Amino acid sequence: MTEAIQQFFATLPARAPEVLRGPVGGTLRIDLSDGHRTEHWIVRMRPGTAEVSQGPEHADAVWYCGVDTFERLVTGRTQAIAALFRNESTYSGNVVVFLAFRRFLPSPPSTRDPREVAREHARWTR
Amino acid sequence: MKQLVSILDGNTFVVSDRRGDIEPALDFPTGLFSFDTRFLSTWRLLLDGERLHALSIDDTESFRTRYFLVPGEPSHYLDAKVSVIRSRAIGGSLEEELTVLNHSGQEMAFTVRMEMAADFADLFEIKDTQRKNGHNTAAPGEDTLRLNYRRDAFHRETVINSSAPAQVDRKGMTFPVQIGPHGEWTTRLTVTTMIYGARGEDIRTLLPYSGNRTVAAIEVEHADFVARAPKLGCDYQPLAGAYQRSLSDLAALRYESIALGVRLMAAGLPWFMTLFGRDSIITSLQVLPFLPELIPPTLTMLAGLQGHRLDDFRDEDPGKILHELRYGETAGFEEQPHSPYYGAADSTPLFVVLLDEYERWTGDVEMVKKLEFPVRAALAWIDTYGDLLGTGYLWYQTRNPKSGLENQCWKDSWDAISYSDGRLPSFPRATCELQGYAYDAKLRGARMARLFWNDPQYAEQLEREAAELKERFNRDFWLPDKEYYALALDSDGTPVDALSSNIGHLLWSGIVDESRAKRIAQHLLGPRLFSGWGVRTLADDQGRYNPIGYHVGTVWPFDNSIIAWGLWKYGFREEAGQICEAVLGASRYFEGRLPEVFAGYERDLTEYPVQYPTACSPQAWSAGAPLLLLRVILGLEPQGEHLIIDPYVPSGMGRVELLDIPGRWGRVDALGRSREDQANRQE
Repeated sequence: MTEAIQQFFATLPARAPEVLRGPVGGTLRIDLSDGHRTEHWIVRMRPGTAEVSQGPEHADAVWYCGVDTFERLVTGRTQAIAALFRNESTYSGNVVVFLAFRRFLPSPPSTRDPREVAREHARWTR
Repeated sequence: MKQLVSILDGNTFVVSDRRGDIEPALDFPTGLFSFDTRFLSTWRLLLDGERLHALSIDDTESFRTRYFLVPGEPSHYLDAKVSVIRSRAIGGSLEEELTVLNHSGQEMAFTVRMEMAADFADLFEIKDTQRKNGHNTAAPGEDTLRLNYRRDAFHRETVINSSAPAQVDRKGMTFPVQIGPHGEWTTRLTVTTMIYGARGEDIRTLLPYSGNRTVAAIEVEHADFVARAPKLGCDYQPLAGAYQRSLSDLAALRYESIALGVRLMAAGLPWFMTLFGRDSIITSLQVLPFLPELIPPTLTMLAGLQGHRLDDFRDEDPGKILHELRYGETAGFEEQPHSPYYGAADSTPLFVVLLDEYERWTGDVEMVKKLEFPVRAALAWIDTYGDLLGTGYLWYQTRNPKSGLENQCWKDSWDAISYSDGRLPSFPRATCELQGYAYDAKLRGARMARLFWNDPQYAEQLEREAAELKERFNRDFWLPDKEYYALALDSDGTPVDALSSNIGHLLWSGIVDESRAKRIAQHLLGPRLFSGWGVRTLADDQGRYNPIGYHVGTVWPFDNSIIAWGLWKYGFREEAGQICEAVLGASRYFEGRLPEVFAGYERDLTEYPVQYPTACSPQAWSAGAPLLLLRVILGLEPQGEHLIIDPYVPSGMGRVELLDIPGRWGRVDALGRSREDQANRQE
């Protein structure tokens, strides 16, 4: 497993209060495969909290993803729904759980705040 | 343009010529489409090597057509010894019953040939024939032809099956047939579309409604949909006709989302058979008094896909509501940004407006509580990322110059926003109706915060911000010399001074100062904007005015329905009635089915509304327009636990009666009569 992926999972509990707002909840299992073996990551989500563990447990939804694709997702270099539409990753189960988890995935690298960009060119700003 | 025939079920649809044939066309999406992919690009029938031509077509139902054909080109002398009936229905898969009838007294031999091909073009590839990145294969089998397209793990397949024995090759099927005197021969061709997910399953089979339903099931479902809507009784035929047509088109436009497994409304055939934030919200607002059960899946889906990060390619910001979701290859491989694309500045405030309006009608407090955080995030977006320049207005400017939208308001064509003299303003732009929507969203957010989220402080803050926005707007957008609101502000804060229909949306949002409302109503119904068939998108004396320009002079039924709602809100019942009469009158010329848009020519000049060349039809928010106009005519407004009914029926419409209007009050009836009708009855 790559360092970026390890790090991503390690930060989820701390980020949960900001990311998981409102009545979200459910368990997502992420099956990460490198072609030879599969690692099972479990993310239990409740409003404001996320617990991460590993193991082939039962979950409300399962997301199947290659290690390479997942690394690109957790570094913002590709996008989760597009990856589903091109069948590079798939899921089964309750999609609401997947949509909630998706919110942990970061912006593409070196994206700037659009307000900064707009204000560079406009004359009428405050 | 050749006349085309379309049938649809949700976002699966067929567009063919009047013979029932499909041939690849570059200018218009002909073929069998599902989830933004073309699964049949050629479907051509030959009898003894000859093309056929149509005697007549029966296309009274949205999901079924019948073509009556004879060989050869049309001529005066017609003495066909043979004719063909193609009976076609769509319900996830396409079924075509092909019957050849021998009208002669002796046995005849024919060669029936169906040419078949699938290019698996993404809807975005129709207009330019770029080479596809994947590869196609064709595999003939026993009475079966399988056409495949693969690109990495992306896999689509068309499976064509014949019930009668066929000679199958890679380009179609041939049937050598012998038909007895006055006899017939039939085969049933089934075309199944496959979207493969993991482990080689069609992902739609996992959905609760499943992709493939029988025609009988669709019929039952449509009838049930129409039966749930209130019953309209009225003397004015255009209204009665448009109402029925609208209900059946709305039933047909519902589709099941791959991603969520709920029924959503596709926006318009053929280009927009998918989820749009703006279209689905406006359609929801229009149909809410009639079919409130359509709203929760739309709100849930929009909230579930709410923006959560900054993404320049998709114009995504945290809290923003999506513009457009596409399921095709170009979205999947990130060649187009629609997964989803967020390039709309209005869908976010409109999302808040819809939730509040929905609760006012239905009393569904649970929904308002469930969506508290998405709504708070949407309201936060308005004042943060939405206010690009920090000047207290909603602005837009795409960060994706290659495939993003320049104009991120409902008038989203490149030339839609201009100064009166035709010049185009700089970016970012702040169009006026966006500010109205933001104002309304704040007030409605305040109501929900106070009543359901137990947060009076937030409610007060939102109300204060709304009041400040209204004051600011009436100062910065008002053009004292011209006496209307500017279409937009440019990036210098200079008013973009064109006279446009957008000022009608301002009435709906309530941001117009009372003292100025009359002047706005006069402009809307004045000769520069009002064509006689409705309010033009742009006044006829403006630099860029063009009666057949998509957003610069045409008349949009949905636009007019919102304007009529706005006029009514400010008490201009007669003016609102004039718009109702104009648009409903126009619907007669389209057999009750209002197209997306029609030309802005003067009514006196053409005497009928001229069809816009490539208008989508059916289009969800055009189908919704007669429903909203009916609400305006009957003056239906929820107040507390009751429905206020305050009819103002335009003269000439006679009696209008709507039974079983659903809502928090259970079901109630409304009755209105036009004035002369009331007078007649008193005599």
